[in-house]
Amino acid sequence: MNLLTYSIISAAIYSLIALGFTLIYRTVKFFHLAHGGVYTAGTYAAYTTFMLLQKIGSDSLIFNLIIATLVGMLVAGVLGILIDRIVYYPLRKMFASDLILLLASFGVFVFIQNFIQLIYGAQIFTIRTWPVKEGHHILGAVITDVQIAIIITSFVVMLLLWLFVQNTKFGKAIRAVSDDPVGASVVGINPEKTIIIVFFIGSALAGLAGTLISLETNIEPSMGFNAILKGIIAAIIGGIGSFPGAVLGGFLLGFAENFGVWKIQAGWKDTIAFAILIIFLLFKPEGILGIKIKTEKD
Amino acid sequence: MEYLIHILVISGIYVILTMSLNLIVGYTGLPALGHAAFSCIGAYTSALLTLRLGLSPWIGLIAGIFLAVITGLISSFPALRLKGDYLALATLGFNVIIYGIAKNWVELTRGPMGLPGIPSFSIFGLKLTETWQYLLLVLFFDILSFIFLWRIVDSPFGRLLKGIREDEKAIQMLGVNTVKYKVMVFMVGAGFAGLAGVLYAHYITFIDPSSFTIMESITILLMVIFGGMANLYGSIIGAVSLVVLPELLRFLGLPSSVAAPLKQMIYGLLLVVLMLKRPQGILGEYRFK
Repeated sequence: MNLLTYSIISAAIYSLIALGFTLIYRTVKFFHLAHGGVYTAGTYAAYTTFMLLQKIGSDSLIFNLIIATLVGMLVAGVLGILIDRIVYYPLRKMFASDLILLLASFGVFVFIQNFIQLIYGAQIFTIRTWPVKEGHHILGAVITDVQIAIIITSFVVMLLLWLFVQNTKFGKAIRAVSDDPVGASVVGINPEKTIIIVFFIGSALAGLAGTLISLETNIEPSMGFNAILKGIIAAIIGGIGSFPGAVLGGFLLGFAENFGVWKIQAGWKDTIAFAILIIFLLFKPEGILGIKIKTEKD
Repeated sequence: MEYLIHILVISGIYVILTMSLNLIVGYTGLPALGHAAFSCIGAYTSALLTLRLGLSPWIGLIAGIFLAVITGLISSFPALRLKGDYLALATLGFNVIIYGIAKNWVELTRGPMGLPGIPSFSIFGLKLTETWQYLLLVLFFDILSFIFLWRIVDSPFGRLLKGIREDEKAIQMLGVNTVKYKVMVFMVGAGFAGLAGVLYAHYITFIDPSSFTIMESITILLMVIFGGMANLYGSIIGAVSLVVLPELLRFLGLPSSVAAPLKQMIYGLLLVVLMLKRPQGILGEYRFK
């Protein structure tokens, strides 16, 4: 039953993207589609770092992978901040509508994806230069060391994020700014500073997700589009703006997609995902956990 | 010269797409991000009818438009319930679904291999083989579409659409069933997109799913916004200039592996700059609320 392994990996990756997206969505309240571009950029940064480390003769695989992942997260985080400062911040100051922000975000996404394609070309790359080892057999499922590492890393990071948001001063500031930016600034929290932190953490999560999945599959410049759409779908079906919802949505989507194509071709995965999205948008737009943080405008 | 005419034909097809999308997003204020889905339906319907059943492209044209209108009707169901960015997301999702069907229903569409050898239009037994003949055909449909859409927007119906865009509650207070109008707008817009898809399929004589992606839909939306929201002349300007300008990259002698992403980068950048500096576009009167 490799289906179970694939489902858990998809679920973990979607959850990570959805968590970063949710963190940002809670504070700025629009669909940050450029998150997909950040994800791709982080992955390519990690890939490049890994290849460079190998070239200069660093032969500890674990060490190289850890450094590459950290660089990927850092590049993604910084890129997230840059996007916010250059594009979103001026738009916020103009009180631009959510749709304008969404379209600007789409523009940024298109720019980043094609910039990467310009530099690296449209062909696929793989970071997996190490010899393939046979997986472990657990409960009838076959799972490799790499897959175990992906799953464990994802869950540890999710737990850390939860502890960070719930318990630290920054976490409280983030929640305060999400709920009421004016109120937060009254009690001495700088909303813009908080937004910068949020973009860094959220984007770093995207970078991590991209790097982790690159241990399993090939990378290409267009990988971010599907990723961000799946992240948004996960966030919406779980209940947009809710952290547990993002993880729940990620799991539902990961399992639905992989088990949905059990008997039919794998190409239908995206169609299934979007059919689920449209059903949710029509019948339960507030998602499963149903936390409505976006108010009706008119 | 042949190449120049080809660019004009493509521009002409985009003009229909852009004007019809403008009816939905500019005049009625509904953020539809999946216009390419309708041209996909039109293109595949006509291509399959002519290839598999040997019917005339003109019958394909009518069937393509008809099925696109039906698809518009189906896709308008989210429009009845959703607003703003959620509607944008739903239409985007709809585009991904239609694209997915075109790509994965291999028995019908041949999937990524595409459908080659689609026959050209013929008028009174004269087969349109020359590019300039095809340009005349496209221009004819451009003018027809412009007149049709102009009659819609420059009428009490069109003013009602703008009313829905500006203040839907107020229009409902007048006793108007705004949902009905939104559905009609989606159907009309989809029909014209279907027409553009049919024209494209029989001109290029080959279609595959990659012509009907989300990126394609965003490009059409960019043309609408660039030319001007709620302005049909703007749509003509937007479509023609955004088809022609990237072609200039060719004259720089760039290889296509550079020119293709560069063109998309320019589109992305243009979208960002428009949102920052002029969200209603060159001739526009409306910006997304």
